[in-house]
Amino acid sequence: MLTYNSKDNLIFKLHPFTQMTFIGIVFILALVFSHPIYLLVLLMSVWVVIAAAGNLAEWKGYMKFSIVMVLFIVAINTLFARAGTTIIYRGPEIPLIGSLEISLEAIAYGLGMSVRLLVIISIFCLYTYAVNPDKALRLFSKMGGKSVLAITLSVRLFPLMMKDFQRISGIQRCRGVKLATGSWWERARNSIPIISIMLLSCMERSLQLAESMYARGYGSGPRSCYEKDLWRPRDYIILILTTIAMAVGIWSAVKGWSAFSYYPVLEQVDPLELIGAAITALALLVPAILNWGWMKWPILKSRI
Amino acid sequence: MIKNSFIYRSRYIFSILIILLLLSATIIPENPLYNLNWALLSTLIVFLGILAFFWQFEKKQMNSKMIALIATMSSLAAVSRIAFSAIVSLQPATFIIMITGYVFGAQIGFMVGAIAALVSNFFLGQGPWTPWQMFCWGMCGALASMLSLKQAGFRLLSFAVLAGLCGFFYGWVINIWHWAAFMYPLNIKTFLAVYASSLVFDGIHAVGNVVFSLLFAGTFYTILCRFKKYI
Repeated sequence: MLTYNSKDNLIFKLHPFTQMTFIGIVFILALVFSHPIYLLVLLMSVWVVIAAAGNLAEWKGYMKFSIVMVLFIVAINTLFARAGTTIIYRGPEIPLIGSLEISLEAIAYGLGMSVRLLVIISIFCLYTYAVNPDKALRLFSKMGGKSVLAITLSVRLFPLMMKDFQRISGIQRCRGVKLATGSWWERARNSIPIISIMLLSCMERSLQLAESMYARGYGSGPRSCYEKDLWRPRDYIILILTTIAMAVGIWSAVKGWSAFSYYPVLEQVDPLELIGAAITALALLVPAILNWGWMKWPILKSRI
Repeated sequence: MIKNSFIYRSRYIFSILIILLLLSATIIPENPLYNLNWALLSTLIVFLGILAFFWQFEKKQMNSKMIALIATMSSLAAVSRIAFSAIVSLQPATFIIMITGYVFGAQIGFMVGAIAALVSNFFLGQGPWTPWQMFCWGMCGALASMLSLKQAGFRLLSFAVLAGLCGFFYGWVINIWHWAAFMYPLNIKTFLAVYASSLVFDGIHAVGNVVFSLLFAGTFYTILCRFKKYI
């Protein structure tokens, strides 16, 4: 049911804090960078890490769905941006928009922003598939016990209610209630009993849950700890290197290297300015490299 | 009472001042926040809004019944988001969150909305849209509870109208992020273009909310009110 599926590789065996830090840093860098090469390099390193985690199949699904958004972004940008000077196509007058002008810069900007979107979608794909939600939530349980408890309970109840839903709608079908056929309004009306039965059983369950929590002494004293995540050398290595990537990224942003002016004319790319991109990419590739070593040499696996 | 309302008002003004300060810092040149990415900034503001609600929730004395209620209702909303779209290609999640907020108050309404968005995304996929969905659904629950303060008992018509408005509200808030993150130049034209392109989706959402309110609101209200006596 959950999108997270445990796998035997390094990315899955990291401490949740390390995973979250890596994902958070890539997300921030994607928003800080605007240079297309910086963004492409970021996309590439995320792609390699996703491949190392063994989630490429799911990532492809994500990419298919984002292609639509990419087309949309490029279209709106080319139609509305007026700041470009290299005009490729000049079209007729259109109401609301004005005269139709398509400039190279606007297309380039649309594509650059699309790469940013792809980086963001990819990094969230990694989060969805490689981070255990329970472990990630546990990181916050020190700060907010009650809200994290409510979220964890809700994550746990979700599959249960999904089963309830299938059971109830199956019973309704056996009694001859049409859910899959008939007009839209009929189907909507036929689903009323299902949803009210679900609400009733959900209320019943909530009361039982509360009684069970009370019987176990919820709130009677300080919370105990059921399971602890271990810190291992690999976590320290990756944490240090992702922090370096962040520092280099911010530094090149402050220097203006990771910025790129699309308008009025596309900026010339200075190879020297790409050093920041190279260092960031190398530092962000470390989880994938370590994973490769972990698969190849058992001795490295036992040490880190 | 007077003192209390004074504190509330000053807090209200204070938080608006902070948001205005953050916003103006990005357009006044020569300070470290100048020209900060608007997508990042807007997500930050939304995140702070969610955090404020969660913080209030943490401070309040809660018994196990309330926590169990929040968990089950948000789980129901999350399930309905997936299961019902298979039957009628509309999702009653917004409606479920709103009726919970209407019966149980702003705090529980917001928490149910925010947790429903977060939890359903654990199964559908997390993204940068998660904090925005959490905020929007939470606010739908809080808005419904405001309506319940204005009128005694339950009136179907006003609830259905608010549900329809919330459908638009949900899309319009999320559009802000879409516009700030992916559009250039950030001007009124692209802003309107984004809003125009989402109009159909928001309209479907709003119609769905009204339909679900007309179909389910009466039953849901009675069931939830009966349960409220236990808490």
